[in-house]
Amino acid sequence: MQQLYLFISGPLLWLSFGIFFGGLIYRVVTYIRGLDWQADRVAYQAWPALGLKGALRSIVHWLIPYYSVGWRAKPLYTFIFFVFHIGLVGVPLFLAGHAVIFKERWGVAWPTMSMGLADVLTIGVMAAAVCIVIRRIALPEVRIVTTIYDYFLILVSVTPFVTGFLAVHQAAPDYNLWSIAHVLSGELLLVLIPATKLWHVVGFFLSRGQLGADFGIKRGYKGKGFAW
Amino acid sequence: MPEGTLCNKKTVDTKEYLDALLADKSGKKYYEEMSHLEVDKEKLKKTLAASMKSRMRAWLDLCSHCALCGDTCFLYLANHRDPTQVPSYKIQSTLGKIVKRNGDVDNEHMRYCMDVAWSKCTCCNRCGSFCPYGIDMGVMFGYLRGLCFSQGFVPWELKIGTGMHRIYHAQMDVTSEDWVETCEWMADEQQEEWPGLEIPVDKVGADLMYTLNAREPKHYPEDIAEAAILFHIAGENWTVPSEGWEQTSLAMFAGDWGACKVMVESVYGAMERLKPKRVLGTECGHAHRATVIEGPYWVGRKDGRPPVEYIHYTEWVAEALRTGKIKIDPDKRIKELVTLQDSCNYIRNYGLADVTREIISYLVEPGYFWRTSPGRSLVTWWSRAISSRCTRTGSTTSAAAAAAVLTASACIASSATWA
Repeated sequence: MQQLYLFISGPLLWLSFGIFFGGLIYRVVTYIRGLDWQADRVAYQAWPALGLKGALRSIVHWLIPYYSVGWRAKPLYTFIFFVFHIGLVGVPLFLAGHAVIFKERWGVAWPTMSMGLADVLTIGVMAAAVCIVIRRIALPEVRIVTTIYDYFLILVSVTPFVTGFLAVHQAAPDYNLWSIAHVLSGELLLVLIPATKLWHVVGFFLSRGQLGADFGIKRGYKGKGFAW
Repeated sequence: MPEGTLCNKKTVDTKEYLDALLADKSGKKYYEEMSHLEVDKEKLKKTLAASMKSRMRAWLDLCSHCALCGDTCFLYLANHRDPTQVPSYKIQSTLGKIVKRNGDVDNEHMRYCMDVAWSKCTCCNRCGSFCPYGIDMGVMFGYLRGLCFSQGFVPWELKIGTGMHRIYHAQMDVTSEDWVETCEWMADEQQEEWPGLEIPVDKVGADLMYTLNAREPKHYPEDIAEAAILFHIAGENWTVPSEGWEQTSLAMFAGDWGACKVMVESVYGAMERLKPKRVLGTECGHAHRATVIEGPYWVGRKDGRPPVEYIHYTEWVAEALRTGKIKIDPDKRIKELVTLQDSCNYIRNYGLADVTREIISYLVEPGYFWRTSPGRSLVTWWSRAISSRCTRTGSTTSAAAAAAVLTASACIASSATWA
């Protein structure tokens, strides 16, 4: 068991991070290289300042809850969305248990959050995931576009949180088993992020930024644009 | 590869072909032929490889199927929230399938694509504004229309419309002679009421060159006269070109990018010939989109701008009111509740929201304008969200155009009071 744990938290972890970062870099590079001013009908290079301003404005408005008009149109959805995403990003990055690994391996001091906050956020992620699934089933307009793949991605994203929560709280009889499941499911998520539509972790910034640049260039020089 | 005589993959470049299409009443034979039209899968595959760039591929791929775009689509709302009208469903089931199968689709699918691309999306781009990723289904439907057109799957009316552009450089069969004669006729008609009114054709170096919609000389010549009256009152040094006066583009609606280029080149050609200081377009939103917003890209202008500053009709009206070239008697301002819908073309895609509101300020008594557009700050949003449920914005209909028309009629109605 110990051997297995060492393997999955050693070489396999490195491999997962390698695929994660390498894959995302590939995504960013191919996206940007594929932008075409004439096909997209956006004069990116002629108006870099307007484009950059529009892109940043758009990204910032969509990163802050209720800042964009789109978020305001759907207040409840927006709440669930941010509970889900803040936990998904915040807990893995700032969990004390993860920071220990940084400290032990590289001696890097990493900011951490309290266990209480981590628990609240983790429960938030799980609860939000349930809400998202219910929404997918209950609303006809969401049901019609939902595929099995969408449920799979939710499952993949939430499993590390469920297993991690069980491992930490030792609610389950075998701590090691949940620990191993947690590390493996986390690694699976890392690998799947660049390979599936979860590449939106960078794709959001690229795509929102692109539309923001588009609108910034088209509208910015005339009247005022809006950030949406 | 079997093709019909009317419904085929060819563009309409001869008058004979155009007449044959026109003679086919309601496109009966045309649509019959379409049901047998073969899909050139190789060509479709090649077109995808050449034109499907990273932005659109990312859009189709990233869509998380959240359906937030549903409520942003007026066609979804107007059709009792029919789930098949959700923009993401519409694009995934049409273009999404073509891309996924890399062009390996049949006649039935292409006809389905045609139906959705033209009757279930107006390319207003509202969904893109409300999508967290900024996935713009309107842009993708524009692209899909191009794919459908290249395969011959285009509505009969638009096959005719784009043929008109290719043959007459106008969306209707109005020749240069017809157009110039209409201008002369309309100028003559006004002499009694507006002595000295002119519609100057091909005047070089004018302050304004006016472009418009072929529908006006064809069916509503008095619209040309009304514009001329306003320019006359405002004392504008203006002109119309004898060639390149048509600003609209059914070719854009049809997805015929070749004809789009022809049409824009004709207008830009008039600019080069007449060297006006500015160009003024008619109120028509899609004409503005075709010639000012997208046109520069069709002809390959890297700055994405027309060769000469090209203003929208509402910009001219606002400017004329601001500078006092046209005056409105404040007593005649509208004293009923008035609202304004933002046009997709020159507001959402061009940013003229403040211009139309400025016109409103001259037309409507203070306190009678009801803003339905979203607030820019959280505070105004909350206060409005509490006071009313109208916190959404935008529409594809163009009430700003109506405002411009109102301006014109208000001016004419109150002309007796002018000093």
